[in-house]
This record gives sequence, structure tokens and C-alpha cells, in this order.
Amino acid sequence: MKYGKVYFEDVVVGAEITSLQKGPIQQIQLTRYAGASGDFNPIHQDDEFAKAAGMGGVFAHGMLTMGFVAQAVTDWAGAGSVRKIGVRFTGLVRLKDTVTCRGRVVDKVAKDGAHTVELEIWAENQRGEKVVTGRATVGLPSRDR
Amino acid sequence: MAIQVNRGVIGKEYPPYTVTVERGKIKEFARAIGDLNPFYLDDAVGRASEWGDVVAPPTFATTFRDEAIAAQALRDLGIDISRVLHGEQEFEIHRQMRPGETYLCRSKVIDIYEKSGRTGSMAFVVRETVATDDANEIVATMRHITVVRL
Repeated sequence: MKYGKVYFEDVVVGAEITSLQKGPIQQIQLTRYAGASGDFNPIHQDDEFAKAAGMGGVFAHGMLTMGFVAQAVTDWAGAGSVRKIGVRFTGLVRLKDTVTCRGRVVDKVAKDGAHTVELEIWAENQRGEKVVTGRATVGLPSRDR
Repeated sequence: MAIQVNRGVIGKEYPPYTVTVERGKIKEFARAIGDLNPFYLDDAVGRASEWGDVVAPPTFATTFRDEAIAAQALRDLGIDISRVLHGEQEFEIHRQMRPGETYLCRSKVIDIYEKSGRTGSMAFVVRETVATDDANEIVATMRHITVVRL
């Protein structure tokens, strides 16, 4: 099931979450994301502008790729589960690129009735180059409750 | 030609601005990412959920922007938008947002530092934006690092 329910007790430190493949990136998605997010930087829309800026052509909003990674997390842990998510943008995502979002459990903590899991998260392009790296903290339901 | 970033804006707080969480905007944003999670898109699923309504994707608070402040921030730094890249981004989500709620957003410049690498010199502008609800409780905290190619 795509939107599975994960219980805290079933999470194993070191295990990877289900990966999520997005793309190939098309210009229309960048235009749509600009409208939805309000980020109309022409560097993501106008190839001439992006080339003149020395970027070699348009590339995806970092926030779109972060949105993909966040989706991988919520597909696994559930909508509304994310307490904290932070990333560093380490590479540009270009048109026609595919982005595979992955995550691995690095810690789980049960404290004061809250059950949280810490994930290492990242996204890589079709050449295996990391374009985003980061961490996420999710709250999960417990069977004890 | 190398450019300079105005470090005088460190500590600057921008005028607070309000944002309203719109149901349609949540759906537009989720669809733009291609995330078709029914907890974002289906009002009936939202009503039956523990939150009683649809919730927003984790990065939704990126839509809490004010055009005038964004333009002012670039002018304050003394740079053009073509020089700007997104370096890092963090969201702390203190509670789920609800459609129809209005938040007050406060944005400030925390730090500016420079680094030199194989691709040249870059300035890193660290900003924080905090969204609070009517009860003055924090709903979301965003930390952004903007990279300026010098």
C-alpha cells in the first residue's frame, strides 16, 4: 500500500524507507511549481536568462526537489507526521533528469509519550549524484497507546 | 567582476506580514509537486482524519512569502536575483496547519558569511521566518540559507 501506516515499534534503525522516483523533470512542472509556490525566479523558467546568469540553462527549484524528498517521507510515515525536515542542496536538477528520493532510519526515541524517528534523507539523479541531503524527524503512532 | 554583499543587514527584521492558509493553495501546491496524498487533496479524507480537515505538505510554508519583502531583501543585500541559489532549507512544524487560519510571519537576517570554493567565492545569507497563530503560538519555523555567487 502506497500510504502505509508505520508503527513506532516496527521501525528498525538502519532500515531504508521505500524509495520514490520522480520525473523526468519537464518545464511545465517548474512553471506549475512557480505558480504554486510563488517563486517566479526566471532562472527556473527562461533558458536565455539562466544561460546569461552563467547557469548553463534552466534548472529545478531546490524547493521542488525538497518537496519530492518530503513526499518520500510522508508516503512512508504518513501525512502530518513530519516534525522537522532540513536539507542542503548539493546539485542542480535539470530538465529530463529523474530524481530518486531515499531515506534511512538513524534513530528512534520514545520519550514523554511521544514516539519520534530520525531519518537521514537524500535524493539522487539518474547518474547516482546526490542533489539533496538532509534529515527529517517524524512522529509515529505507537501500538502501546 | 566580483560583487559585494552588504553585511550591514545582519540582524535586520522585516515588517511582519500575514498569510492565510487556503484550501485550494494546499491542493495546488501538492499537485505541483505531484504528491497526490488524499490527506492533502480529499476533503472527506481530511474530515475523517485526526485533524478534522486536510493538512498541508511538509514544505508548504515556503508559500508564506511576501513579494515586497523578497524584493527589499535583494535590494538590501545589493544583489541581483540572477546571482542567487538556494543553499539550505529547514522547516520545523510545531503543529499541523488548518485551512482558513491566518498567521503572522516575521522574517529576519541571522547571519552572512563568505566562503571560497572551486567554483569561486560565495556569500551565505542565513534567514529565519517564524509563523505564529492568533494565540501567538508558533506554527512553523523556517530557516533558509541563500547562496550568492560573488
